[in-house]
Amino acid sequence: MKNFKTLRFLDFFRGLFERFGINYTAMRKILTVKLTMDGRRTPTIFNQQAKKKKKPEENGFIKSLGMYVLLSLMLIPFVVLEHSLLYQMSIFYGIVMFLVMTSMISDFSNVLLDVRDKGILLTKPVDKKTLNVAKTVHICIYLVFLTVALTAIPIVIGTFRHGILFLLLSIISLILVNLFIVVLTAIIYYFILRFFDGEKLKDIINYVQIGLSISIAVGYQVLARAFSFVDMKITFTPSWWQFFIPPIWFGAPFEIFLKQHSDVYLVSFSLLALVIPIVSIIIYTRMMPSFERNLQKLTNNSGGSKRRERTWKNGLLKVICRNNEERIFFRFADHMMRNEREFRLKVYPALGLSLVFPFIFLFNEIQMNSYAHMVSSKWYLSIYFSCLMIPNAITMLKYSGKYKGAWIYQTAPIQNLAPFYSSVLKVFIVNLFLPVYIVLSAIFIALFGGEIIDDLLVLFVTAILYTVICSNYLKGTLPFSESFEDALQSGGLKVILASLCIAAFTGIHFAVTFIPYGVPIYLILLVAVTIFAWKLAYKTVWNFK
Amino acid sequence: MTINEVVLSIKDLEKHYGVKNVLKGINLTVYRGQIIGYIGPNGAGKSTTIKILLGLEGDYYGKVEIFGEEVTETNIDYKRKIGYVPEIADLYDNLTAMEYLTFVGELYGMDFQAVDEKAQRLMKVFGLEDVYHSRIASYSKGMRQKVLIISSLLHNPDLLFLDEPLSGLDANSVMIFKEILAILAAQGKTIFYSSHIMDVVEKISNRIILINDGKIVADGTFNELKEQNKEGTLEQIFNQLTGFNEYRVLAEEFVSIVQEV
Repeated sequence: MKNFKTLRFLDFFRGLFERFGINYTAMRKILTVKLTMDGRRTPTIFNQQAKKKKKPEENGFIKSLGMYVLLSLMLIPFVVLEHSLLYQMSIFYGIVMFLVMTSMISDFSNVLLDVRDKGILLTKPVDKKTLNVAKTVHICIYLVFLTVALTAIPIVIGTFRHGILFLLLSIISLILVNLFIVVLTAIIYYFILRFFDGEKLKDIINYVQIGLSISIAVGYQVLARAFSFVDMKITFTPSWWQFFIPPIWFGAPFEIFLKQHSDVYLVSFSLLALVIPIVSIIIYTRMMPSFERNLQKLTNNSGGSKRRERTWKNGLLKVICRNNEERIFFRFADHMMRNEREFRLKVYPALGLSLVFPFIFLFNEIQMNSYAHMVSSKWYLSIYFSCLMIPNAITMLKYSGKYKGAWIYQTAPIQNLAPFYSSVLKVFIVNLFLPVYIVLSAIFIALFGGEIIDDLLVLFVTAILYTVICSNYLKGTLPFSESFEDALQSGGLKVILASLCIAAFTGIHFAVTFIPYGVPIYLILLVAVTIFAWKLAYKTVWNFK
Repeated sequence: MTINEVVLSIKDLEKHYGVKNVLKGINLTVYRGQIIGYIGPNGAGKSTTIKILLGLEGDYYGKVEIFGEEVTETNIDYKRKIGYVPEIADLYDNLTAMEYLTFVGELYGMDFQAVDEKAQRLMKVFGLEDVYHSRIASYSKGMRQKVLIISSLLHNPDLLFLDEPLSGLDANSVMIFKEILAILAAQGKTIFYSSHIMDVVEKISNRIILINDGKIVADGTFNELKEQNKEGTLEQIFNQLTGFNEYRVLAEEFVSIVQEV
């Protein structure tokens, strides 16, 4: 294990830790082990092979900091402009808090919620206090990296703009913000664990992770426009409800010290910014023992969960799955895709993006021309962007966090696995594509009017055909049979090719709209081709044993 | 050093989880060199007792002393002389055996070089020298179990808590380990052995404690238990004392359901 630079830096504070009765040597060892493990977040057999290739150990989190540096550019306008410093800094802290908080929940929950620590470390001569401090320091190390990546550039620019006092205020309030967030997250977990079981908490964390990936992706889109919509002139009138908005607390000191502008509201906001983090830490240390106790809920899942019967799905099952084998696999794939968190994490962000993407292009069009112009144009075809998630989602179908369970397909007496593929793809269409399609269709009909219904039907059939085409990516592997570790982060060339394919479909559709009765005829042709393709794939691509 | 030196004493130990009474007054004195077989049905309170002894669970009633020191959540010194093999093979498996074992050894205050050398030699005895620098995640169940056993003994503890320590080990390794326990006990180490495999408990323990529903229902050598209960094997004594005699009925029911198809 290497001697981490961060820990060598931490050595300067050795005396401080020891003064609080912490066994620094033990804490440092725990941190070394934790940081080493963070660099190897891939605990599978495949990693052993990767190690032979002498792949340097790298920390995924440190690598992802670059993205945050890019996002930090979005914050620059808020520190440069000078309409209302309070307003701007509040937005600044609002964004910082949002990003740090979501990252805290998605990346560090496992640190806060690690139940192994207790069994492994507390049975050794390590006291609880040292372990808890080690956990907190572990999180803080990353939060410091994250905060620096996110705010360094804006703060340097702001310091040039507003002077050295700005730098000082920023550093103090960022430290307070981070403390506040760590404690707030722990308190939120505490209450979730108190009233729900561990599975619920894992679900909530999962959805936060999904939300974070969506908002970062959307953030990139907004980035380009950030400069255009902050030049609005907003005058800030203090009122009571602002006491409930933490970013405003942290924005207030800037108005007081840099603008020499103070009133009762601003002073009380600033006091809150100072007092609340400190108070919450005191509450946190008091709550720690009972938090630990509730943590045990993560391991023992007492209390049976209720089984939800979905009658509509059973009805659907009878219609879309012809034979019994398909129905069995449909039910199985439905349960797998709904319950597997890792799968949701890989696929749902793309799903969210496919909801958002069509509108980004519509907004562009509205900005360039006018709403009335857009509505009468053929921009509704931008709905085809929602199909971009299909290749990505389908490549994910072969992975599972519990891929080792796949032996069941080999030992069970199954003649042919084609029904498995066809039902997995049906589940994909019903569970994942259909909701997106319905939401988008409803909005598009509201925007463009009822005459685009046949176009939307074309889109739906195209999506099914496209699914069949993309199912080539599954060829040779069974669904849910490989580890996510093997999944390349970006599908690379394959996904690009698939995207070109959807561009071709859009082009054909666009051309067809110029022919009288083109769209209905195209729809009928498409249905025929899709049925043929499905049957062909059933016999060839999916025929696997 | 006297033979009758008390290593561990438990007086009127009670533990409640909410309204549930898990331990209902356990009294137990363990002497140096004993191998205690600690048995009982699922949910009887075995793991809870061990967790209390290791200081993982606080909020109990009664008095628990190990090496004459009271066990509390804040007192950690007595842990230096304790080794523990947990029931669930929880370990940091993204580390290599070398990294994990040296880490554990250092937590017990050993010198890095010394632990490294010692761990390597112990791994070699178990036939694991080739994987010493491989990640534990790539190990089989038996190999992990061997790493856990080594990690519990690195610091030469005087008292060992073993919770199902043989799980996943092959027959040959089981022989080695049973012999290790016998030699350790002969040298005056105390072993607290908890398991569901009655044959092994019957053979290795020189004192058997059976706990049922939070209370000790039997305490003595295997021969003493046999005399008291007029049964042939520990398994039968176990069934008798825990009031379980319907195994045949349940087995028949199970098979008849299987045959329905």
